Amino acid sequence: MKNKTMLNRRDFLKIGGAGLAGAALLGVAGCGGGGGSGSSGPKVSVGSKKFTEQILLGEMYAQAFEDKGYDVTRKLNLGSEQVMDKALQDGTIDLYPEYTGTAYVAILGKPPESYPKTEEETYKQVAEYYKNRKDTQMQMLEPAPFENNYGIVMLTDTANEMNIKTLDDLAAKSGDLIFSSYSEFQNRSDGYDNMKQHYPKLDFKEIKIVNDLGIRYKALAEGEADVGIGFTTDGQLASPKLKVIKDTKVIWPKYYPAPVVLQSFLDENPDAKKILNSVDQSLNAKTMREMNGAVDLEQKDYEDVARQHLEEAGVIKS
Amino acid sequence: MNEFMNVLQRPDFIENVRIHIEYLVFATLIGILISIPVAILVYRSPSTSTAAINVGNIGRAVPSLAVLVLMFPIFGLGFDSALFALTLVAIPPILINAVVGLRQVSPQILDSAKGMGLSGRQILSGIQVPIAAPIIFAGIRTSAVQVVASATLATFIGGGGLGDYIVEGYQRNSTAIALAGAISVAVLAFITEAGFWGLERTFTPKGLRIAQKRGRARK
Repeated sequence: MKNKTMLNRRDFLKIGGAGLAGAALLGVAGCGGGGGSGSSGPKVSVGSKKFTEQILLGEMYAQAFEDKGYDVTRKLNLGSEQVMDKALQDGTIDLYPEYTGTAYVAILGKPPESYPKTEEETYKQVAEYYKNRKDTQMQMLEPAPFENNYGIVMLTDTANEMNIKTLDDLAAKSGDLIFSSYSEFQNRSDGYDNMKQHYPKLDFKEIKIVNDLGIRYKALAEGEADVGIGFTTDGQLASPKLKVIKDTKVIWPKYYPAPVVLQSFLDENPDAKKILNSVDQSLNAKTMREMNGAVDLEQKDYEDVARQHLEEAGVIKS
Repeated sequence: MNEFMNVLQRPDFIENVRIHIEYLVFATLIGILISIPVAILVYRSPSTSTAAINVGNIGRAVPSLAVLVLMFPIFGLGFDSALFALTLVAIPPILINAVVGLRQVSPQILDSAKGMGLSGRQILSGIQVPIAAPIIFAGIRTSAVQVVASATLATFIGGGGLGDYIVEGYQRNSTAIALAGAISVAVLAFITEAGFWGLERTFTPKGLRIAQKRGRARK
């Protein structure tokens, strides 16, 4: 009889395992779609990290290339900066979108405290590094005109009531407020400690660690927390009900997205630069928030969202 | 390795271990308090037993993460939402095993108990529950280990626990931090498994243990 229960349990594990394997397969199949259209134009392999904004950027680059007759391979669910950089070096991808600040810290390996105060200077240093790389030559093209930085967020009504406009105002009143944050931000050097250093009055009544972005926003809406942390291009921020509190002291590096492209690919395809730029220049913080929101909150297909934007902006033919 | 040790020495580490153990204890306990009475209510009739087992199986199929997110508007951020979801995780294995365990007590034994003049209640508490105890305990053990594993999800709704480190490791791309969380969970699961195995042995009636041994010897 003991055996019987063990069997039950094992069966359960087996079923669970099969379910997981099935889900994984589905996931792979889901991401593998949308390959080249079989044209015989020049080949390009577009990569991105696996979160919504990156996938959208990658997809938009891919569609813009297709529009100009390229044969596009999509690899839109790769991993971290390091993985992306390796994928470029071994030629798995020809390009991917990276944030200037991320490249500064993760690829150049510079300490986050040393970051330049302006976007221009950040870009200059990063671009120079890519250009002069010994291993594989790359270029970081001109960044898109919007930033995806940390965003300290409050309900617009609450912020107005308490007359909080800047992080200084927030710090002064933080003793009455609950902050919902996430593990990484609380523990990495440029995160909460950095914030506290620059705004010394900061001392929240309570800090709740909520490791899910969507639930952090929900917690704000439900009044479970007064202040939350997200990113400035989150889809939720398209709503006027939420407000990003101004960081007047510029305590974070500048995170503007820009394509990092293999030099060899640029040499072979002189029009590539123009194609990528046309995508980036069609974007701004508002459109990016709306697109992120369409995918994350309205569950729209990222391919459709990307196509709709590019057509409306006249980047590709409709 | 250094980073790994650093995590174990953080002031919040002990706190998170404590929260994780609280999830284990409370979710399993509430799970037992709900499942056993329900099992006793339904086991007599085949149709209600089947219904209970099916409900239990459906319960197993619902992802804990989904429950967490659904409970959020009711219980808010933190411990309560997570405990509710984890109790739902704990119930099915106990319920199913208790129903199956109570039903598989051999009719001959029940007949002889009746023949000795025992009342229904006496048969339940003196014969059926002890004979079913090993199976019920196997269910509780399964639940407890599942709760330990699932409690890592509490981190997504501000419930704390060792999942904090697993997610932090993932977010910061640091295997050391993620491992510090994952290995702690594994150790906790192992201790739970071993502890319940001991309990299971203690609660198996002596006669049953001898019968089990004989059965094994004969093979």
